[in-house]
Amino acid sequence: MSDLYGKLILAMAILLCSAVVVPFIAEKRKLAGWLNFIFVAVAGAILLSISYSVIFVKSLPSRLVSVGPLDIYFLLDGFSGFFLGIISLMAIVSAFYSIEYMEHYGDYGLRSYYANYPIFVLGMAGIVTVDDLTTGFSIAWQAMTITSYFLVRFEHRKKEIVKAANKYLVLMELAWLFIVIAALAAGSSMGDSVHSVTRLIGETGGALPYLIYGLVFLGFGFKAAVFPFGQMWLPDAHSIAPSPISALLSGVMIKTGVYGIIRSFFWMVPHSDTFHFSGAFWGALIASFGVVTLFIGTVQSMKQSQSKRLLAYSSIGQVGYIIFGIGAALFMVNAESAALKMLGLIALVGVVYHILNHAVFKGLLFLTSGSVLYSTGTKDLNRLGGLINLMPVTAFVAGIASLSISGVPPFSGFVSKWTLVSTSLLAGSEVLFLVIFGIVALFTSAVTLACYVKFFGMTFTSAGAEWGVGREVREVPAGMLIPKLFLTALCLLQGLIPFFYFQTIIGIFAGSGGSLISAAFRNLNVQGHVFNSAMGVSVGIPGLSAVSSIAVPAVLLAVFAAAFVVVAFLRKSGGSKEREVPTWLCGYQDLHDKNRYRDKSMFAALKNLLYWTGGNVKE
Amino acid sequence: MDILTAVINALIFLALAPFFEGVIRRLYARVQSRKGPPLIQPYLDLLKLLGKETLSAGNWAFRIAPMMALASIITVVSIMPLGYRAGYLTQYGDIITVIYLLMLGGVSVLLGALSSKNTYAMLGASREMVTMIMIEPVLAMTLILGALKAKSLAIDASLSSSLNGAYGISMVLMLVVFLMALQAFVARQPFDIAEAEVEIMEGPFIEYSGPGLALFKYYMMIKQMFYAALFAAVFVPLVNTGYYIVDVAVQLVEILAVFVLISLLGSTNPRLRIDQAVKYYAVLIFASLAAVGLTAYGI
Repeated sequence: MSDLYGKLILAMAILLCSAVVVPFIAEKRKLAGWLNFIFVAVAGAILLSISYSVIFVKSLPSRLVSVGPLDIYFLLDGFSGFFLGIISLMAIVSAFYSIEYMEHYGDYGLRSYYANYPIFVLGMAGIVTVDDLTTGFSIAWQAMTITSYFLVRFEHRKKEIVKAANKYLVLMELAWLFIVIAALAAGSSMGDSVHSVTRLIGETGGALPYLIYGLVFLGFGFKAAVFPFGQMWLPDAHSIAPSPISALLSGVMIKTGVYGIIRSFFWMVPHSDTFHFSGAFWGALIASFGVVTLFIGTVQSMKQSQSKRLLAYSSIGQVGYIIFGIGAALFMVNAESAALKMLGLIALVGVVYHILNHAVFKGLLFLTSGSVLYSTGTKDLNRLGGLINLMPVTAFVAGIASLSISGVPPFSGFVSKWTLVSTSLLAGSEVLFLVIFGIVALFTSAVTLACYVKFFGMTFTSAGAEWGVGREVREVPAGMLIPKLFLTALCLLQGLIPFFYFQTIIGIFAGSGGSLISAAFRNLNVQGHVFNSAMGVSVGIPGLSAVSSIAVPAVLLAVFAAAFVVVAFLRKSGGSKEREVPTWLCGYQDLHDKNRYRDKSMFAALKNLLYWTGGNVKE
Repeated sequence: MDILTAVINALIFLALAPFFEGVIRRLYARVQSRKGPPLIQPYLDLLKLLGKETLSAGNWAFRIAPMMALASIITVVSIMPLGYRAGYLTQYGDIITVIYLLMLGGVSVLLGALSSKNTYAMLGASREMVTMIMIEPVLAMTLILGALKAKSLAIDASLSSSLNGAYGISMVLMLVVFLMALQAFVARQPFDIAEAEVEIMEGPFIEYSGPGLALFKYYMMIKQMFYAALFAAVFVPLVNTGYYIVDVAVQLVEILAVFVLISLLGSTNPRLRIDQAVKYYAVLIFASLAAVGLTAYGI
C-alpha cells in the first residue's frame, strides 16, 4: 500500500495551493469557480481514495508526521476515513455548485470566498485526521473556524450578518478553549497523541475525569449544536452563509463535533483495573441532551418562516437524533446484559448511518433552497409558493430530500431513524428511560414531517410567488442541477440498500482499533444478528424472539409500486377527462395575495401549545 | 399459499371498507331520525366518481397525491396480519415501519391539499398535520405496548401480545386511551376537524373531483377500517381457533362492532375546535406514556 499519510499531506497541500492561486483570478468569476472546483476535486479525489482504502482495505495506526516545522500525530483508521469521505464528497459537490451559484452575488467580489473555501475543507479534513487534542487539533480547528467565519460573513455589507458571524466566531473559539483545557487538565503536553492522553486520564482519579470528559463534551457539543448551545449560533450562521457553504456547515462541519464526541467517549477511554469509566452515567447524560436537542430543535424548526432558518433549526433536530443515538449506545455497551450490549452496537451503526444520510439530504436541501433563492431572490416562505411548474427539477429533488429527512419509507433517513428508535425500544424491556426517549424520537419524526410539508408546500406547491416575487422565475442552470441530481441519486441508494451500509459501518468499527467496542464489533456476527434479506436489515437478539425488528425498504417499495399500478389503473378505469380550472373559493372571490394562507396560521394550534420551546417567530 | 395471504388481506380490506362506511352512514341517519342510504351506497359513489370529469389544479403533485395515499394504505393493509395469521409480507416490516408508512398516507393528503392552492385546503391541511402529530404517539404507543410485552417489534408479535396471555392494567389503560382517540384516528366527530364539511367544506379535498376524490375517499374508508381492525386485534382477543377463515370472520364481526361504536359516538357529538382538541390529545399522550411505563414494570 502506498503511503496514505503522504497522500493526505499532498491533498492538503493542493487545497492550500488553491487558496493561494485562485483569488488572483477572482475577477473572472466563472473561471475562478472552475479552477477552485478543479483543485478541490483533485484534492477530494485523493482524500476519497484514502478513505476507500482505510475503510475497505485496512485501517492504519496513528503516526507522527512532519508538517513543515511541526511534528503532528495523524490517525487514518476506518472511522476517520468515513468522515474524510463525506467531507470530501460534499466539498466537491458544493464547489461545483458554487460556480454558477456565486454569480448571483453580483456586487460582492469572490476573492475572499475562493481564498477561504479550500482552507475550510482542509480544516475539516484536519479535524477528523489529527490525533491529538492540542497542537494539530488547534491548527485544524482554527483553519476550519476562521475561514468559515469569513465565509459566513460573505455579505459583509449587511450589519446583521456581520453581527451573527462575530457571535459564531466567539462561540467556536470558546469551544476550542474548552477542549484544549480538557487536554491540558489531563496532563497532556502540546502535541501528545490521543493515545497518551488516554493513558494520562487513566492515571487520574476522583472528580478530574468528570471535568475532562465534561469539558470535551461541552466543546464538541458547541460544534455539534447540542441544545442549548446550538441555538446560540447555528440558526444565524447557517441561514446567512451562501447556500453551498450552508450545505457544508450543516452537512459536514457540525459532524466534526459529532466525530469528536464519538472519538472521546469510545476511544479516549482508559482500560485499566484502577480506572473506572462511568459509561452508563455519560451515556444517560448524552442521550438526555440528545433527546432534548432533537425535540426542541425540530419544534423550533416547525415555527420558522424563512426557508434557510427552517433548515438550520432542523439540522439541530437531526443532530439531536445522532447525539441521542451516541448516548444510548454508550449507555448500552456499558451495561451488564449481553442483549443490551449488542443493541448498543447496532444503535452506533444507526448513528453513523444517520450521519451519512443527514450529510447528503441536508446538503441537498440547502442546495435546493439556494436554487430557490437564486431564482426568486427570497428566502421568505410567505412570498414563495407555486414554483412546482416553474422549477420542476428542483421541486422533484426537494420532494425526495424532504421525504428522506422525514424518514418516510423507503427513502434514506427511514432506516437510520428506524435503527435508532428500534434499538431503544427493544432495550425498553430492561431500561425504561430508553423507551420514553424512543417514543419522543418517534413523535419528533412526525414534527419533522410537518417542517418539510411546510418547506415543500409553501415553496413549491400552494400559491404566492406570482405576488411575492417581482420577477420571472426560471429553473436554475444545469450547473446547479447536476450536483443536486447526483446527491438525489445517492439519497435514493442509501434508502434502498441499507444492508450494504450496515455491513460497511460494522466493518469500519471492527477495523478501527483501540476503542471500547472494536473487539465487540469483530465478534458481531453479521449473518447471525443483523442479517441480509432482500437488502434489508433486521435485528435479532439471542434469548429473545428470533427476529426482533426488521426493515426492508426494497420490498416495501415493490409492494407500494404494485399497489400504485393498481391504483393508477383504477384512476383511469372510468375514462375521466381532465380539465384545468382556477381555484374555487366558494364563488365569492378569486385567489389573490390577500386571501391566501400564510405561514403564521400554519400549525397555529400546535405552535401555541409548544410556545415554551422558544425559537418563536415574531410578526 | 403464503404469498396469497397478503393479497387476500388487501382484498378483504378493499372489498369491505366501503361496506363499513355504508354502515356508518346508515347508523348516522338512524340516530338523526332519517332513513339513510342503502348499505351499498359508498360503492356506487366510488364508481360514479371514477367516471366523472377531473377538475385539476394543473401540477403533477395534485395528480399523484391521491394515488400515493391509496397505494400507501394498501401497502399497510397487505403487511397487516388479519385473523392473527402473519401474511407473507408481515416478515418484511415491523411496527415502526407501519407507523412510518401510515405517515406516508397522511403526507399524501397534505401534498394534495397544498398543491390544490386553495386557502380552505391549506387550512384543512394545517389542522390535519397537527392532528397527525398529536395522535400518532397514541398509535405508536399502542403498538409499542404490545411489543414490550412480546419483547419483539415484529407486527404479528405486537398485535397478538394480549392474545398470548398477559392483559394487565397497562393494557386496560391503553384500551381506554385508544377508545378516546378512536374518533380522531378515523376523522369522525368530534374530531373531524380537518375535513369539517359544514365549516371548511372537506378541507384538504375541496378542490378534488372525479377519480382523485374517489381515491381519497377510498383511502379514508380503508384507513378507518385499518384502525378498527387494529383495535379488534390488540384489545379484543376473543378466539384463535387456528382456522384462518373462522378467525378472520370473528375479527370482521368485531370490526363491525367497532364501527357501530364509531357511528354512535360520531353522531351524538359536536365538533371540537382544533385548539381544544390539541389539549385533549396532549392528555391522551401522557396517559399512554403512563401505560407504556406500567408495561415496562410488567403491570
